[in-house]
Amino acid sequence: MLATKPTAPRSGRSRRASWLQRLYVPLMLTPVLLTIGVLFFGALIVALLQSFGHAPIYGIEEFPTLRHYRNLFTLPGFWSSVGLTFYYALVPTVVGTILSIYLALMLRRRFRGKGLVQFVYKLPLMIPYLVGVALTIVLFGNGGIIARGMFALGVIESTRDFPRLIYSHAGWGIMIVYLWKQIPFTTLIVYSVLMGLGRESEEAAATLGAHRWQTFWHVTLPQIMPGIVSATVIVFAFNFGSFEVPFILGGGFPNTLPVEAWRAFEDADYSNRLRAMAIVMFIGVLSGAVLFTYLAAYRRFERLRGRQ
Amino acid sequence: MIARRRAGTTEIRRDDRDRLGPFGRFYVTFVVVAVVGPFIPLLIASFAFRWNWPDLLPSRWWWEARETARLPLGWDYVFSPVSRVLESAGNTVLIALLVTLLCTLISLPAARVLARERFRGKSFVEFFLLTPLIVPEIAVGLGILVTFIQLGLAGTFTGIILVHLIPTIPYMVRVLTSVFQGLSRDYEEQARVLGAGPLRTMWHVTLPMIMPGVIAGGLFAFLISSNIFLLTFFIGRGRIETLPTLLFSRVSGGGALDAVAAGVALIVCIPGIIMLVLTERFIKEEVFAKGFGG
Repeated sequence: MLATKPTAPRSGRSRRASWLQRLYVPLMLTPVLLTIGVLFFGALIVALLQSFGHAPIYGIEEFPTLRHYRNLFTLPGFWSSVGLTFYYALVPTVVGTILSIYLALMLRRRFRGKGLVQFVYKLPLMIPYLVGVALTIVLFGNGGIIARGMFALGVIESTRDFPRLIYSHAGWGIMIVYLWKQIPFTTLIVYSVLMGLGRESEEAAATLGAHRWQTFWHVTLPQIMPGIVSATVIVFAFNFGSFEVPFILGGGFPNTLPVEAWRAFEDADYSNRLRAMAIVMFIGVLSGAVLFTYLAAYRRFERLRGRQ
Repeated sequence: MIARRRAGTTEIRRDDRDRLGPFGRFYVTFVVVAVVGPFIPLLIASFAFRWNWPDLLPSRWWWEARETARLPLGWDYVFSPVSRVLESAGNTVLIALLVTLLCTLISLPAARVLARERFRGKSFVEFFLLTPLIVPEIAVGLGILVTFIQLGLAGTFTGIILVHLIPTIPYMVRVLTSVFQGLSRDYEEQARVLGAGPLRTMWHVTLPMIMPGVIAGGLFAFLISSNIFLLTFFIGRGRIETLPTLLFSRVSGGGALDAVAAGVALIVCIPGIIMLVLTERFIKEEVFAKGFGG
């Protein structure tokens, strides 16, 4: 399957060399394919088998059964979990992408302190989500700095008057952490794509009399679209499977699907571990379906525009 | 005459487009404040001993309470062995170093082939290597956990290093592939023509040329590994703590943040800040563009 296309024939080489040549590509790819194949796909297959009832370690062997999925779908709070997971994943992806494109465009301009800004904005990219969680608690908690500031200004009279931004189902804190971490990520990708493009085509459009908005919409955006699509795919997939942020800043039961999966897995009753596997598979399939639809729509859009 | 004036106006307009307007300036300032600003209260919280509602600053600071306290407080506690901060920092660095090394060795050959050869199934391989970025980590995490529990790898360094390869390899392959793509074959072919064997060519010609790219990819892998929480938390099972898992146990209690948690959160930032300074010197932004279909 991984056969090389014949390269220029080399005269006077032994048969061993041609064997090596034929095996060159597969051999070079083996370490990567083996690692990802065994660890990543192996894990997915184990989870899949368990979710269908094959778990000899717990003395459960009812493969194949859909019981664990059926139980899942009738579980109280399950569909709220699905909704919350979608909500927390989608809103920051959309809002963050728009803010990132704007930031990347601004970073291309000339202004004082540009070097500093370009250095500083990448900081959240470099540190764990949990630091963002800690910052959110300090800032937006009910006894946090913003609540204290509002009290000092006389806007609120006690901690109870401050809106619950964290530890609530509205998920403001969760989405703020995602935005704080991910705007630098998307901006960096969009900005580097912009840098790679250069400004010739935009300048040409401007010379031909296009307004700023027209230039952006018809010249810049189509060119940075591939970068935007890969960034949004990665960000959405991450948010959809994110565990620690909603675990800490969420509003308790029902929480997002990954949190519910972990709770089921850590339950004293081992048979609940199969439910955890069913949830995890459900997360994978849902997120995969969303991303597949998104990518297919994007391809179709590009084809309609006649790029491919 | 007219032509010249028109050229002049476009010149001015282009210059005007290039400068940041008032709204843009406001936005960029807001971004900087939003990124750095929250660290100020975190820093204050780490030095607080008593910080009651609704005080804007602590009423009693750590250094005031430090003398009279019987147990280590605040930063003293953070740096005492009881807090496990130094131990976790050591684990984080050790794991990240080994992951970076392994990940580079595994990814280099594949990147070379993906950048230079054309073969059947290439796009399949590329997609295969992309999936770990798209499939939510938790789906992999639980499957690996049950397998590793059976194999006795749960709660071991080996287990953690192995799972860290999953999110690092896709990035590493992409970065290194773009490095090889930017590298002309000419020098290597010349070395071969002049009689150098494949190993000598690799060592004396290829490696020195790809070194900057390998360092960039390595920094990237180190950073990803040292920031991983979920996979370490699942596979480490509390037996092996890294900085992110330690911070998790400090902030997941609910309620406000105590001084020690704030201190740990600040310590957790150190590898990232070092990386930020280093990447500013080593990684060109175009590397990201090439890695992400620019």
